[in-house]
Amino acid sequence: MRKIFSIALNTFREALREKLLFIVLIFTGILLLSTYVLSPLSVGTARNKVITDVGLACISLLGVLTAIMVGSTLVYKEVDKKAILMVLSRPVSRHGYLIGKYAGITAALFLMMILMTGILAVMIELGQGHITPAVLLAIYLSGLETMVLCAIVIFFSTFTTPVLTSFFSLCLFIAGSLSGDLRAFASRFGGALMKYVMDVLYYLLPNLKVFNLRHEAVHQLRFSSADLGTATLYALVYTGVILYFAYMVFRKREFS
Amino acid sequence: MDILRIEGIKKSFKNDISFERKEILHGVSFFARKGEILGFLGPNGAGKTTTIKIILGLMRPDEGTVSIFGRSSRERSLKARIGYLPENPYFYPHLNLREFLTFCGNLSGMRGKVLDRKVAATISLVDLEASHKQRLKSFSKGMLQRAGLAQAILHDPDLLILDEPFSGLDPLGRKIIRDILLGLRRRGKTIFFSSHILPDMEALCNRACLIRSGKVVKNIGLDEIFRLGEGKVEVVARGFEKEIFEMMRDLIDKVEMNGEEFFLSVSKQEYVRAVVQHIYNSGGEILRVVNQHPSLEDIFMNEISGTGGEGEDSRRVEEKEFSGSGRGKS
Ligand SMILES: Nc1ncnc2c1ncn2[C@@H]1O[C@H](COP(=O)(O)OP(=O)(O)OP(=O)(O)O)[C@@H](O)[C@H]1O
Ligand SMILES: [Mg+2]
Repeated sequence: MRKIFSIALNTFREALREKLLFIVLIFTGILLLSTYVLSPLSVGTARNKVITDVGLACISLLGVLTAIMVGSTLVYKEVDKKAILMVLSRPVSRHGYLIGKYAGITAALFLMMILMTGILAVMIELGQGHITPAVLLAIYLSGLETMVLCAIVIFFSTFTTPVLTSFFSLCLFIAGSLSGDLRAFASRFGGALMKYVMDVLYYLLPNLKVFNLRHEAVHQLRFSSADLGTATLYALVYTGVILYFAYMVFRKREFS
Repeated sequence: MDILRIEGIKKSFKNDISFERKEILHGVSFFARKGEILGFLGPNGAGKTTTIKIILGLMRPDEGTVSIFGRSSRERSLKARIGYLPENPYFYPHLNLREFLTFCGNLSGMRGKVLDRKVAATISLVDLEASHKQRLKSFSKGMLQRAGLAQAILHDPDLLILDEPFSGLDPLGRKIIRDILLGLRRRGKTIFFSSHILPDMEALCNRACLIRSGKVVKNIGLDEIFRLGEGKVEVVARGFEKEIFEMMRDLIDKVEMNGEEFFLSVSKQEYVRAVVQHIYNSGGEILRVVNQHPSLEDIFMNEISGTGGEGEDSRRVEEKEFSGSGRGKS
Protein backbone atom coordinates (compact mmCIF):
# COMPACT_ATOMS: atom_id res chain seq x y z
CA MET A 1 0.00 0.00 0.00
CA ARG A 2 2.79 2.39 0.90
CA LYS A 3 4.62 1.43 -2.25
CA ILE A 4 1.56 2.25 -4.35
CA PHE A 5 1.37 5.55 -2.54
CA SER A 6 5.03 6.27 -3.33
CA ILE A 7 4.52 5.55 -6.99
CA ALA A 8 1.37 7.68 -7.02
CA LEU A 9 3.15 10.56 -5.31
CA ASN A 10 6.07 10.39 -7.72
CA THR A 11 3.70 10.28 -10.70
CA PHE A 12 1.69 13.16 -9.29
CA ARG A 13 4.82 15.30 -9.08
CA GLU A 14 5.88 14.27 -12.54
CA ALA A 15 2.43 15.06 -13.97
CA LEU A 16 2.42 18.48 -12.34
CA ARG A 17 5.59 19.22 -14.23
CA GLU A 18 3.75 18.59 -17.47
CA LYS A 19 2.54 22.19 -17.45
CA LEU A 20 -0.80 21.50 -15.85
CA LEU A 21 -0.71 24.97 -14.34
CA PHE A 22 -0.32 26.33 -17.82
CA ILE A 23 -3.65 24.73 -18.69
CA VAL A 24 -5.26 26.40 -15.69
CA LEU A 25 -3.91 29.66 -17.08
CA ILE A 26 -5.44 28.97 -20.47
CA PHE A 27 -8.72 28.28 -18.70
CA THR A 28 -8.59 31.63 -16.97
CA GLY A 29 -7.85 33.30 -20.29
CA ILE A 30 -10.84 31.69 -21.95
CA LEU A 31 -13.10 32.75 -19.08
CA LEU A 32 -11.89 36.33 -19.18
CA LEU A 33 -12.28 36.38 -22.91
CA SER A 34 -15.85 35.10 -22.73
CA THR A 35 -16.72 37.66 -20.07
CA TYR A 36 -15.32 40.79 -21.65
CA VAL A 37 -15.37 39.97 -25.33
CA LEU A 38 -18.24 37.62 -25.97
CA SER A 39 -20.73 39.11 -23.56
CA PRO A 40 -19.94 42.79 -23.17
CA LEU A 41 -23.57 43.66 -23.47
CA SER A 42 -25.10 41.23 -21.06
CA VAL A 43 -25.12 42.14 -17.41
CA GLY A 44 -25.74 40.52 -14.04
CA THR A 45 -27.29 37.06 -14.11
CA ALA A 46 -27.11 36.80 -17.90
CA ARG A 47 -23.37 37.39 -17.82
CA ASN A 48 -22.91 34.88 -15.03
CA LYS A 49 -24.84 32.33 -17.04
CA VAL A 50 -22.40 32.75 -19.90
CA ILE A 51 -19.40 32.41 -17.59
CA THR A 52 -20.85 29.33 -15.92
CA ASP A 53 -21.72 27.80 -19.26
CA VAL A 54 -18.27 28.39 -20.75
CA GLY A 55 -16.54 27.50 -17.49
CA LEU A 56 -18.26 24.16 -17.10
CA ALA A 57 -17.66 23.22 -20.72
CA CYS A 58 -14.00 24.17 -20.41
CA ILE A 59 -13.44 22.26 -17.17
CA SER A 60 -14.91 19.15 -18.72
CA LEU A 61 -13.08 19.43 -22.02
CA LEU A 62 -9.72 20.49 -20.58
CA GLY A 63 -9.97 17.70 -18.02
CA VAL A 64 -10.47 15.14 -20.75
CA LEU A 65 -7.83 16.55 -23.07
CA THR A 66 -5.24 16.82 -20.32
CA ALA A 67 -5.99 13.27 -19.21
CA ILE A 68 -5.24 12.12 -22.74
CA MET A 69 -2.19 14.31 -23.11
CA VAL A 70 -0.55 13.45 -19.79
CA GLY A 71 -1.75 9.87 -19.48
CA SER A 72 -0.65 8.83 -22.92
CA THR A 73 2.98 9.77 -22.29
CA LEU A 74 3.63 8.96 -18.65
CA VAL A 75 3.59 5.16 -18.69
CA TYR A 76 4.97 4.97 -22.19
CA LYS A 77 7.91 7.21 -21.39
CA GLU A 78 8.78 5.20 -18.34
CA VAL A 79 8.82 1.95 -20.29
CA ASP A 80 10.58 3.47 -23.27
CA LYS A 81 13.31 5.14 -21.25
CA LYS A 82 13.64 2.10 -18.99
CA ALA A 83 13.03 3.86 -15.69
CA ILE A 84 10.50 1.11 -15.12
CA LEU A 85 13.25 -1.53 -14.89
CA MET A 86 14.36 -0.05 -11.66
CA VAL A 87 10.82 -0.02 -10.25
CA LEU A 88 9.75 -3.50 -11.29
CA SER A 89 13.01 -5.08 -10.17
CA ARG A 90 11.96 -4.14 -6.65
CA PRO A 91 9.26 -5.89 -4.65
CA VAL A 92 6.50 -4.00 -6.45
CA SER A 93 3.65 -5.85 -8.13
CA ARG A 94 2.64 -4.95 -11.63
CA HIS A 95 -0.92 -4.16 -10.59
CA GLY A 96 0.45 -2.00 -7.78
CA TYR A 97 2.52 -0.13 -10.30
CA LEU A 98 -0.46 0.49 -12.59
CA ILE A 99 -2.73 1.56 -9.76
CA GLY A 100 -0.04 3.93 -8.47
CA LYS A 101 0.44 5.47 -11.89
CA TYR A 102 -3.30 5.82 -12.38
CA ALA A 103 -3.88 7.32 -8.96
CA GLY A 104 -1.03 9.81 -9.40
CA ILE A 105 -2.24 11.06 -12.76
CA THR A 106 -5.85 11.25 -11.63
CA ALA A 107 -4.88 13.16 -8.51
CA ALA A 108 -2.98 15.70 -10.59
CA LEU A 109 -5.97 16.10 -12.90
CA PHE A 110 -8.30 16.55 -9.94
CA LEU A 111 -6.02 19.22 -8.52
CA MET A 112 -6.12 21.01 -11.83
CA MET A 113 -9.92 20.81 -11.95
CA ILE A 114 -10.20 22.10 -8.40
CA LEU A 115 -8.04 25.09 -9.30
CA MET A 116 -10.21 25.80 -12.30
CA THR A 117 -13.31 25.53 -10.13
CA GLY A 118 -11.81 28.08 -7.76
CA ILE A 119 -11.16 30.47 -10.60
CA LEU A 120 -14.67 29.99 -11.93
CA ALA A 121 -16.07 30.71 -8.46
CA VAL A 122 -14.05 33.92 -8.22
CA MET A 123 -15.26 35.08 -11.62
CA ILE A 124 -18.87 34.42 -10.70
CA GLU A 125 -18.41 36.30 -7.42
CA LEU A 126 -16.98 39.22 -9.36
CA GLY A 127 -20.20 39.20 -11.38
CA GLN A 128 -22.11 39.58 -8.10
CA GLY A 129 -23.30 35.99 -8.15
CA HIS A 130 -22.66 32.78 -6.25
CA ILE A 131 -21.53 29.42 -7.45
CA THR A 132 -24.50 27.09 -6.92
CA PRO A 133 -24.38 23.54 -5.56
CA ALA A 134 -25.73 22.37 -8.91
CA VAL A 135 -22.66 23.79 -10.65
CA LEU A 136 -20.38 22.07 -8.17
CA LEU A 137 -22.18 18.81 -8.76
CA ALA A 138 -21.77 19.23 -12.50
CA ILE A 139 -18.03 19.67 -11.95
CA TYR A 140 -18.01 16.62 -9.73
CA LEU A 141 -19.50 14.64 -12.61
CA SER A 142 -16.86 16.02 -14.97
CA GLY A 143 -14.31 14.74 -12.49
CA LEU A 144 -15.86 11.28 -12.72
CA GLU A 145 -15.72 11.51 -16.49
CA THR A 146 -12.04 12.43 -16.37
CA MET A 147 -11.43 9.51 -14.04
CA VAL A 148 -13.01 7.04 -16.49
CA LEU A 149 -11.17 8.51 -19.42
CA CYS A 150 -7.89 8.40 -17.58
CA ALA A 151 -8.34 4.66 -17.04
CA ILE A 152 -9.00 4.23 -20.75
CA VAL A 153 -5.85 6.19 -21.58
CA ILE A 154 -3.75 4.09 -19.19
CA PHE A 155 -5.20 0.94 -20.74
CA PHE A 156 -4.08 1.93 -24.22
CA SER A 157 -0.73 3.22 -23.06
CA THR A 158 0.20 -0.20 -21.67
CA PHE A 159 0.61 -1.52 -25.19
CA THR A 160 0.83 1.29 -27.72
CA THR A 161 2.50 4.61 -28.47
CA PRO A 162 1.35 8.01 -27.19
CA VAL A 163 0.03 9.05 -30.61
CA LEU A 164 -2.11 5.97 -31.01
CA THR A 165 -3.16 6.10 -27.37
CA SER A 166 -4.36 9.68 -27.82
CA PHE A 167 -6.13 8.78 -31.02
CA PHE A 168 -7.95 5.73 -29.63
CA SER A 169 -8.86 7.52 -26.42
CA LEU A 170 -10.20 10.51 -28.28
CA CYS A 171 -12.26 8.24 -30.52
CA LEU A 172 -13.65 6.46 -27.49
CA PHE A 173 -14.40 9.77 -25.83
CA ILE A 174 -16.37 11.01 -28.83
CA ALA A 175 -18.12 7.69 -29.35
CA GLY A 176 -18.86 7.49 -25.64
CA SER A 177 -20.38 10.96 -25.62
CA LEU A 178 -22.63 10.04 -28.54
CA SER A 179 -23.39 6.40 -27.84
CA GLY A 180 -26.74 7.11 -26.19
CA ASP A 181 -27.90 9.25 -29.10
CA LEU A 182 -26.68 6.77 -31.68
CA ARG A 183 -28.53 3.97 -29.96
CA ALA A 184 -31.72 5.96 -29.81
CA PHE A 185 -31.29 6.84 -33.46
CA ALA A 186 -30.72 3.22 -34.46
CA SER A 187 -33.67 1.94 -32.49
CA ARG A 188 -35.92 4.40 -34.24
CA PHE A 189 -34.67 4.16 -37.81
CA GLY A 190 -32.28 1.20 -38.15
CA GLY A 191 -32.92 -2.45 -39.00
CA ALA A 192 -32.65 -5.33 -36.55
CA LEU A 193 -28.92 -5.91 -37.08
CA MET A 194 -28.14 -2.24 -36.77
CA LYS A 195 -30.11 -2.13 -33.57
CA TYR A 196 -28.23 -5.12 -32.22
CA VAL A 197 -24.82 -3.65 -33.08
CA MET A 198 -25.72 -0.35 -31.48
CA ASP A 199 -26.92 -2.12 -28.36
CA VAL A 200 -23.62 -3.99 -28.04
CA LEU A 201 -21.64 -0.81 -28.63
CA TYR A 202 -23.78 1.04 -26.15
CA TYR A 203 -22.88 -1.37 -23.40
CA LEU A 204 -19.21 -1.65 -24.34
CA LEU A 205 -18.42 2.00 -24.81
CA PRO A 206 -18.33 4.25 -21.81
CA ASN A 207 -21.65 6.03 -21.57
CA LEU A 208 -20.26 9.47 -20.91
CA LYS A 209 -23.62 11.11 -21.16
CA VAL A 210 -24.37 10.19 -17.56
CA PHE A 211 -21.60 12.58 -16.55
CA ASN A 212 -23.08 15.55 -18.34
CA LEU A 213 -25.40 17.59 -16.20
CA ARG A 214 -23.95 20.90 -17.31
CA HIS A 215 -27.06 22.04 -19.14
CA GLU A 216 -29.20 21.30 -16.12
CA ALA A 217 -26.76 23.10 -13.83
CA VAL A 218 -26.59 26.27 -15.90
CA HIS A 219 -30.28 26.53 -16.38
CA GLN A 220 -31.06 25.48 -12.85
CA LEU A 221 -33.12 22.50 -13.90
CA ARG A 222 -33.76 19.78 -11.38
CA PHE A 223 -31.81 16.57 -11.32
CA SER A 224 -32.22 13.65 -9.00
CA SER A 225 -29.66 12.48 -6.49
CA ALA A 226 -30.32 8.96 -7.75
CA ASP A 227 -28.71 10.03 -11.04
CA LEU A 228 -25.64 11.17 -9.14
CA GLY A 229 -25.43 7.91 -7.29
CA THR A 230 -25.76 5.92 -10.49
CA ALA A 231 -23.13 8.03 -12.21
CA THR A 232 -20.69 7.59 -9.32
CA LEU A 233 -21.19 3.85 -9.21
CA TYR A 234 -20.93 3.61 -12.99
CA ALA A 235 -17.64 5.53 -12.98
CA LEU A 236 -16.14 3.35 -10.26
CA VAL A 237 -17.15 0.08 -11.89
CA TYR A 238 -16.11 1.14 -15.37
CA THR A 239 -12.74 2.40 -14.12
CA GLY A 240 -12.18 -0.80 -12.20
CA VAL A 241 -12.96 -3.00 -15.18
CA ILE A 242 -10.76 -1.01 -17.57
CA LEU A 243 -7.86 -0.97 -15.11
CA TYR A 244 -8.27 -4.72 -14.74
CA PHE A 245 -7.94 -5.10 -18.52
CA ALA A 246 -4.92 -2.82 -18.45
CA TYR A 247 -3.40 -5.12 -15.83
CA MET A 248 -4.11 -8.19 -17.95
CA VAL A 249 -2.10 -6.64 -20.78
CA PHE A 250 0.63 -5.22 -18.57
CA ARG A 251 1.11 -8.45 -16.64
CA LYS A 252 2.32 -10.17 -19.79
CA ARG A 253 4.64 -7.41 -20.94
CA GLU A 254 8.35 -7.85 -21.30
CA PHE A 255 10.69 -4.94 -20.92
CA SER A 256 13.59 -4.78 -23.29
CA MET B 1 23.18 -23.60 -1.35
CA ASP B 2 23.66 -21.56 -4.50
CA ILE B 3 22.46 -18.00 -4.22
CA LEU B 4 21.68 -17.87 -7.91
CA ARG B 5 21.10 -20.85 -10.18
CA ILE B 6 20.11 -20.61 -13.82
CA GLU B 7 19.25 -23.79 -15.65
CA GLY B 8 18.67 -24.33 -19.36
CA ILE B 9 17.35 -20.86 -20.16
CA LYS B 10 16.13 -20.51 -23.73
CA LYS B 11 14.74 -17.32 -25.15
CA SER B 12 13.63 -16.31 -28.60
CA PHE B 13 12.40 -13.02 -29.99
CA LYS B 14 9.91 -12.38 -32.75
CA ASN B 15 11.31 -10.59 -35.71
CA ASP B 16 9.26 -7.45 -36.28
CA ILE B 17 9.23 -7.86 -40.04
CA SER B 18 9.15 -11.55 -40.88
CA PHE B 19 7.46 -12.65 -37.63
CA GLU B 20 9.87 -15.54 -37.38
CA ARG B 21 11.15 -16.38 -33.95
CA LYS B 22 14.86 -16.26 -33.54
CA GLU B 23 16.45 -18.00 -30.63
CA ILE B 24 18.88 -15.76 -28.78
CA LEU B 25 19.67 -17.89 -25.74
CA HIS B 26 20.16 -21.60 -26.33
CA GLY B 27 20.04 -23.14 -22.89
CA VAL B 28 22.14 -20.93 -20.61
CA SER B 29 23.08 -22.47 -17.27
CA PHE B 30 25.32 -21.26 -14.48
CA PHE B 31 25.29 -20.59 -10.78
CA ALA B 32 26.77 -18.25 -8.18
CA ARG B 33 27.71 -19.32 -4.69
CA LYS B 34 27.32 -17.24 -1.58
CA GLY B 35 29.98 -14.61 -1.14
CA GLU B 36 31.52 -14.82 -4.55
CA ILE B 37 31.82 -12.36 -7.39
CA LEU B 38 30.83 -13.96 -10.66
CA GLY B 39 31.71 -12.15 -13.86
CA PHE B 40 29.55 -12.50 -16.94
CA LEU B 41 31.68 -12.06 -19.99
CA GLY B 42 30.81 -12.05 -23.65
CA PRO B 43 30.96 -10.01 -26.84
CA ASN B 44 28.25 -7.53 -27.83
CA GLY B 45 24.96 -9.22 -28.57
CA ALA B 46 25.90 -12.46 -26.81
CA GLY B 47 22.77 -12.29 -24.67
CA LYS B 48 24.07 -10.96 -21.35
CA THR B 49 21.44 -8.30 -20.86
CA THR B 50 18.70 -10.68 -21.95
CA THR B 51 19.86 -13.27 -19.40
CA ILE B 52 19.96 -10.65 -16.65
CA LYS B 53 16.45 -9.44 -17.47
CA ILE B 54 15.18 -12.99 -17.34
CA ILE B 55 16.76 -13.46 -13.91
CA LEU B 56 14.88 -10.40 -12.69
CA GLY B 57 11.57 -11.44 -14.23
CA LEU B 58 11.53 -8.46 -16.61
CA MET B 59 11.43 -10.99 -19.46
CA ARG B 60 10.09 -14.50 -19.48
CA PRO B 61 12.20 -17.42 -20.67
CA ASP B 62 10.75 -19.86 -23.22
CA GLU B 63 12.29 -22.67 -21.23
CA GLY B 64 14.42 -23.16 -18.17
CA THR B 65 14.35 -22.12 -14.55
CA VAL B 66 15.87 -19.42 -12.40
CA SER B 67 16.18 -19.94 -8.69
CA ILE B 68 17.38 -17.32 -6.27
CA PHE B 69 18.26 -18.07 -2.66
CA GLY B 70 17.06 -21.59 -3.45
CA ARG B 71 13.52 -20.44 -4.24
CA SER B 72 11.64 -19.84 -7.46
CA SER B 73 12.48 -16.40 -8.82
CA ARG B 74 8.77 -15.76 -9.27
CA GLU B 75 8.29 -15.01 -5.58
CA ARG B 76 8.04 -11.27 -5.40
CA SER B 77 9.31 -10.98 -1.84
CA LEU B 78 12.72 -12.22 -2.96
CA LYS B 79 13.23 -8.98 -4.81
CA ALA B 80 13.65 -7.13 -1.55
CA ARG B 81 16.98 -8.95 -1.25
CA ILE B 82 18.20 -8.24 -4.79
CA GLY B 83 19.87 -5.10 -6.07
CA TYR B 84 19.83 -4.42 -9.80
CA LEU B 85 21.71 -1.92 -11.94
CA PRO B 86 20.33 -1.81 -15.49
CA GLU B 87 22.48 -1.26 -18.55
CA ASN B 88 22.61 2.49 -19.35
CA PRO B 89 20.44 3.42 -16.39
CA TYR B 90 17.84 6.12 -16.83
CA PHE B 91 16.05 7.60 -13.88
CA TYR B 92 13.43 10.21 -13.24
CA PRO B 93 15.03 13.43 -14.44
CA HIS B 94 12.81 15.66 -12.30
CA LEU B 95 14.12 14.22 -9.03
CA ASN B 96 17.35 15.02 -7.30
CA LEU B 97 19.56 12.22 -6.08
CA ARG B 98 18.28 12.27 -2.52
CA GLU B 99 14.62 12.23 -3.60
CA PHE B 100 15.34 9.51 -6.08
CA LEU B 101 17.02 7.25 -3.55
CA THR B 102 14.25 7.89 -1.05
CA PHE B 103 11.74 6.82 -3.67
CA CYS B 104 13.75 3.67 -4.38
CA GLY B 105 14.01 2.91 -0.67
CA ASN B 106 10.23 3.27 -0.30
CA LEU B 107 9.69 0.81 -3.10
CA SER B 108 11.97 -1.63 -1.31
CA GLY B 109 9.94 -1.25 1.84
CA MET B 110 12.24 1.12 3.75
CA ARG B 111 11.07 4.31 5.38
CA GLY B 112 11.55 6.97 8.01
CA LYS B 113 14.78 7.82 9.80
CA VAL B 114 16.40 4.50 8.89
CA LEU B 115 15.92 5.28 5.22
CA ASP B 116 17.18 8.86 5.55
CA ARG B 117 20.37 7.67 7.21
CA LYS B 118 20.85 4.93 4.65
CA VAL B 119 20.34 7.36 1.77
CA ALA B 120 22.93 9.75 3.16
CA ALA B 121 25.41 6.93 3.78
CA THR B 122 24.98 5.50 0.30
CA ILE B 123 25.41 8.89 -1.34
CA SER B 124 28.71 9.36 0.42
CA LEU B 125 29.75 5.80 -0.40
CA VAL B 126 29.46 6.43 -4.14
CA ASP B 127 31.09 9.82 -3.66
CA LEU B 128 28.23 11.97 -4.90
CA GLU B 129 27.82 14.09 -1.77
CA ALA B 130 28.58 17.24 -3.72
CA SER B 131 25.67 16.66 -6.10
CA HIS B 132 22.96 15.22 -3.90
CA LYS B 133 20.70 18.22 -4.46
CA GLN B 134 21.25 18.32 -8.19
CA ARG B 135 18.54 17.05 -10.49
CA LEU B 136 19.34 13.74 -12.15
CA LYS B 137 18.62 15.43 -15.46
CA SER B 138 21.92 17.28 -15.18
CA PHE B 139 24.00 14.25 -14.19
CA SER B 140 26.85 13.15 -16.43
CA LYS B 141 27.03 9.58 -17.61
CA GLY B 142 29.51 8.54 -14.97
CA MET B 143 27.45 10.23 -12.25
CA LEU B 144 24.33 8.41 -13.43
CA GLN B 145 26.21 5.15 -13.32
CA ARG B 146 27.20 5.83 -9.73
CA ALA B 147 23.66 6.91 -8.85
CA GLY B 148 22.59 3.61 -10.39
CA LEU B 149 24.93 1.67 -8.16
CA ALA B 150 23.67 3.67 -5.19
CA GLN B 151 20.07 2.60 -5.83
CA ALA B 152 21.21 -0.99 -6.31
CA ILE B 153 22.97 -1.25 -2.95
CA LEU B 154 20.68 1.07 -0.98
CA HIS B 155 18.57 -1.67 0.63
CA ASP B 156 21.59 -3.78 1.52
CA PRO B 157 20.72 -6.68 -0.81
CA ASP B 158 22.26 -10.13 -0.48
CA LEU B 159 22.52 -10.53 -4.24
CA LEU B 160 23.67 -7.78 -6.57
CA ILE B 161 23.04 -8.06 -10.30
CA LEU B 162 24.87 -5.40 -12.26
CA ASP B 163 24.71 -4.93 -16.02
CA GLU B 164 27.96 -3.27 -17.07
CA PRO B 165 28.61 -1.32 -13.87
CA PHE B 166 31.86 0.12 -15.20
CA SER B 167 30.65 1.60 -18.46
CA GLY B 168 31.17 5.31 -18.75
CA LEU B 169 33.34 5.62 -15.66
CA ASP B 170 36.72 7.28 -15.37
CA PRO B 171 39.55 5.41 -13.60
CA LEU B 172 38.68 7.02 -10.28
CA GLY B 173 35.02 6.12 -10.60
CA ARG B 174 35.98 2.57 -11.50
CA LYS B 175 38.17 2.31 -8.47
CA ILE B 176 35.38 3.57 -6.23
CA ILE B 177 32.99 0.98 -7.59
CA ARG B 178 35.61 -1.77 -7.41
CA ASP B 179 36.26 -0.98 -3.77
CA ILE B 180 32.56 -0.94 -2.97
CA LEU B 181 32.07 -4.33 -4.60
CA LEU B 182 35.06 -5.82 -2.79
CA GLY B 183 33.72 -4.43 0.47
CA LEU B 184 30.36 -6.05 -0.18
CA ARG B 185 32.00 -9.38 -0.92
CA ARG B 186 33.82 -9.18 2.40
CA ARG B 187 30.42 -8.87 4.03
CA GLY B 188 29.29 -12.08 2.38
CA LYS B 189 27.22 -10.58 -0.42
CA THR B 190 27.03 -12.31 -3.76
CA ILE B 191 27.69 -10.25 -6.87
CA PHE B 192 26.94 -11.10 -10.47
CA PHE B 193 28.00 -8.58 -13.07
CA SER B 194 28.53 -8.30 -16.80
CA SER B 195 31.36 -6.29 -18.25
CA HIS B 196 33.64 -5.87 -21.22
CA ILE B 197 36.42 -4.40 -19.17
CA LEU B 198 38.66 -7.40 -18.62
CA PRO B 199 41.14 -5.93 -16.16
CA ASP B 200 38.25 -5.01 -13.87
CA MET B 201 36.92 -8.49 -14.26
CA GLU B 202 40.29 -9.95 -13.37
CA ALA B 203 40.73 -7.71 -10.37
CA LEU B 204 37.32 -8.55 -8.91
CA CYS B 205 36.00 -11.93 -9.85
CA ASN B 206 36.30 -15.28 -8.23
CA ARG B 207 34.93 -16.86 -11.35
CA ALA B 208 34.01 -15.79 -14.83
CA CYS B 209 31.29 -17.21 -17.03
CA LEU B 210 31.93 -16.76 -20.74
CA ILE B 211 28.93 -16.55 -23.03
CA ARG B 212 29.00 -16.46 -26.80
CA SER B 213 25.97 -16.35 -29.13
CA GLY B 214 23.60 -17.38 -26.36
CA LYS B 215 25.64 -20.29 -25.05
CA VAL B 216 27.92 -20.56 -22.05
CA VAL B 217 31.24 -21.59 -23.56
CA LYS B 218 33.41 -21.51 -20.50
CA ASN B 219 33.13 -21.33 -16.77
CA ILE B 220 36.45 -20.54 -15.26
CA GLY B 221 37.75 -19.86 -11.80
CA LEU B 222 40.20 -16.98 -11.71
CA ASP B 223 42.58 -19.00 -9.57
CA GLU B 224 42.63 -21.57 -12.36
CA ILE B 225 43.96 -18.92 -14.66
CA PHE B 226 46.99 -18.49 -12.47
CA ARG B 227 47.50 -22.23 -12.48
CA LEU B 228 47.14 -22.44 -16.24
CA GLY B 229 50.66 -21.23 -16.81
CA GLU B 230 52.15 -22.81 -13.71
CA GLY B 231 55.76 -23.86 -14.10
CA LYS B 232 56.39 -21.36 -16.85
CA VAL B 233 58.62 -18.54 -15.76
CA GLU B 234 60.19 -15.86 -17.86
CA VAL B 235 63.57 -14.48 -16.90
CA VAL B 236 64.57 -11.16 -18.40
CA ALA B 237 68.30 -10.48 -18.34
CA ARG B 238 71.16 -8.77 -20.13
CA GLY B 239 74.91 -8.47 -20.34
CA PHE B 240 75.87 -12.15 -20.03
CA GLU B 241 78.15 -14.29 -22.16
CA LYS B 242 76.30 -15.90 -25.03
CA GLU B 243 77.96 -19.29 -24.56
CA ILE B 244 75.88 -20.03 -21.47
CA PHE B 245 72.96 -20.77 -23.80
CA GLU B 246 74.71 -24.03 -24.60
CA MET B 247 74.76 -24.96 -20.89
CA MET B 248 71.12 -24.00 -20.39
CA ARG B 249 69.79 -25.87 -23.41
CA ASP B 250 67.69 -28.22 -21.29
CA LEU B 251 66.50 -25.53 -18.96
CA ILE B 252 64.89 -23.08 -21.34
CA ASP B 253 62.33 -23.47 -24.09
CA LYS B 254 62.66 -20.28 -25.98
CA VAL B 255 64.78 -17.16 -26.19
CA GLU B 256 63.65 -13.84 -27.56
CA MET B 257 65.72 -10.73 -27.90
CA ASN B 258 64.76 -7.09 -27.77
CA GLY B 259 67.74 -4.74 -28.02
CA GLU B 260 70.02 -5.56 -25.11
CA GLU B 261 67.43 -7.60 -23.29
CA PHE B 262 66.94 -11.35 -23.50
CA PHE B 263 63.65 -12.99 -22.63
CA LEU B 264 64.27 -16.55 -21.51
CA SER B 265 61.32 -18.90 -21.11
CA VAL B 266 62.25 -21.32 -18.37
CA SER B 267 60.47 -24.61 -18.86
CA LYS B 268 60.07 -25.57 -15.20
CA GLN B 269 59.87 -23.65 -11.94
CA GLU B 270 62.71 -25.76 -10.48
CA TYR B 271 65.12 -24.58 -13.18
CA VAL B 272 64.79 -20.87 -12.40
CA ARG B 273 67.48 -20.99 -9.77
CA ALA B 274 69.95 -22.68 -12.15
CA VAL B 275 69.24 -20.23 -14.96
CA VAL B 276 69.71 -17.25 -12.69
CA GLN B 277 72.95 -18.75 -11.40
CA HIS B 278 74.33 -19.19 -14.92
CA ILE B 279 73.52 -15.61 -15.82
CA TYR B 280 75.17 -14.19 -12.70
CA ASN B 281 78.22 -16.40 -13.15
CA SER B 282 78.83 -15.02 -16.61
CA GLY B 283 78.54 -11.43 -15.39
CA GLY B 284 74.96 -10.86 -16.46
CA GLU B 285 72.26 -8.76 -14.85
CA ILE B 286 68.77 -10.02 -14.01
CA LEU B 287 66.12 -7.45 -14.85
CA ARG B 288 63.04 -9.37 -13.74
CA VAL B 289 61.59 -12.81 -13.21
CA VAL B 290 57.97 -13.13 -14.25
CA ASN B 291 55.47 -15.89 -13.55
CA GLN B 292 53.70 -16.42 -16.84
CA HIS B 293 49.99 -17.12 -17.03
CA PRO B 294 47.46 -16.27 -19.67
CA SER B 295 45.39 -13.18 -18.94
CA LEU B 296 41.62 -13.28 -18.94
CA GLU B 297 41.92 -11.37 -22.17
CA ASP B 298 43.91 -14.20 -23.79
CA ILE B 299 41.27 -16.68 -22.76
CA PHE B 300 38.46 -14.40 -23.84
CA MET B 301 40.00 -13.80 -27.24
CA ASN B 302 40.71 -17.47 -27.66
CA GLU B 303 37.14 -18.45 -26.88
CA ILE B 304 35.47 -15.64 -28.73
CA SER B 305 37.46 -15.72 -31.95
CA GLY B 306 37.52 -19.51 -32.13
CA THR B 307 34.72 -20.70 -34.38
CA GLY B 308 33.48 -24.29 -34.63
CA GLY B 309 36.31 -26.82 -34.95
CA GLU B 310 39.02 -24.35 -34.12
CA GLY B 311 37.36 -23.58 -30.81
CA GLU B 312 37.31 -27.26 -29.99
CA ASP B 313 41.01 -27.52 -30.75
CA SER B 314 42.10 -24.67 -28.58
CA ARG B 315 40.09 -26.10 -25.73
CA ARG B 316 41.84 -29.42 -26.04
CA VAL B 317 45.22 -27.74 -25.92
CA GLU B 318 44.23 -26.03 -22.71
CA GLU B 319 43.13 -29.29 -21.20
CA LYS B 320 46.54 -30.70 -21.98
CA GLU B 321 48.16 -27.80 -20.23
CA PHE B 322 45.95 -28.45 -17.22
CA SER B 323 46.99 -32.06 -16.95
CA GLY B 324 50.62 -31.14 -17.58
CA SER B 325 50.71 -28.69 -14.72
CA GLY B 326 48.96 -31.24 -12.55
CA ARG B 327 51.76 -33.68 -13.06
CA GLY B 328 54.36 -31.02 -12.53
CA LYS B 329 52.98 -30.38 -9.10
CA SER B 330 53.05 -33.93 -7.79
N1 LIG C 1 13.46 -7.09 -27.62
C1 LIG C 1 14.25 -7.71 -28.51
N2 LIG C 1 13.75 -8.07 -29.72
C2 LIG C 1 14.53 -8.70 -30.62
N3 LIG C 1 15.82 -9.00 -30.42
C3 LIG C 1 16.38 -8.67 -29.26
C4 LIG C 1 15.63 -8.00 -28.23
N4 LIG C 1 16.44 -7.79 -27.18
C5 LIG C 1 17.64 -8.29 -27.52
N5 LIG C 1 17.60 -8.82 -28.76
C6 LIG C 1 18.72 -9.48 -29.45
O1 LIG C 1 19.28 -10.41 -28.57
C7 LIG C 1 20.68 -10.46 -28.72
C8 LIG C 1 21.34 -10.33 -27.37
O2 LIG C 1 21.12 -9.04 -26.86
P1 LIG C 1 21.65 -8.59 -25.45
O3 LIG C 1 21.20 -7.18 -25.23
O4 LIG C 1 21.23 -9.59 -24.44
O5 LIG C 1 23.21 -8.65 -25.66
P2 LIG C 1 24.38 -8.23 -24.66
O6 LIG C 1 25.20 -9.46 -24.44
O7 LIG C 1 23.84 -7.57 -23.47
O8 LIG C 1 25.20 -7.22 -25.54
P3 LIG C 1 26.00 -5.88 -25.12
O9 LIG C 1 27.33 -6.33 -24.65
O10 LIG C 1 26.09 -5.13 -26.38
O11 LIG C 1 25.20 -5.19 -24.07
C9 LIG C 1 21.07 -9.37 -29.71
O12 LIG C 1 21.34 -9.96 -30.94
C10 LIG C 1 19.82 -8.52 -29.78
O13 LIG C 1 19.68 -8.03 -31.08
MG1 LIG D 1 24.02 -5.75 -22.65
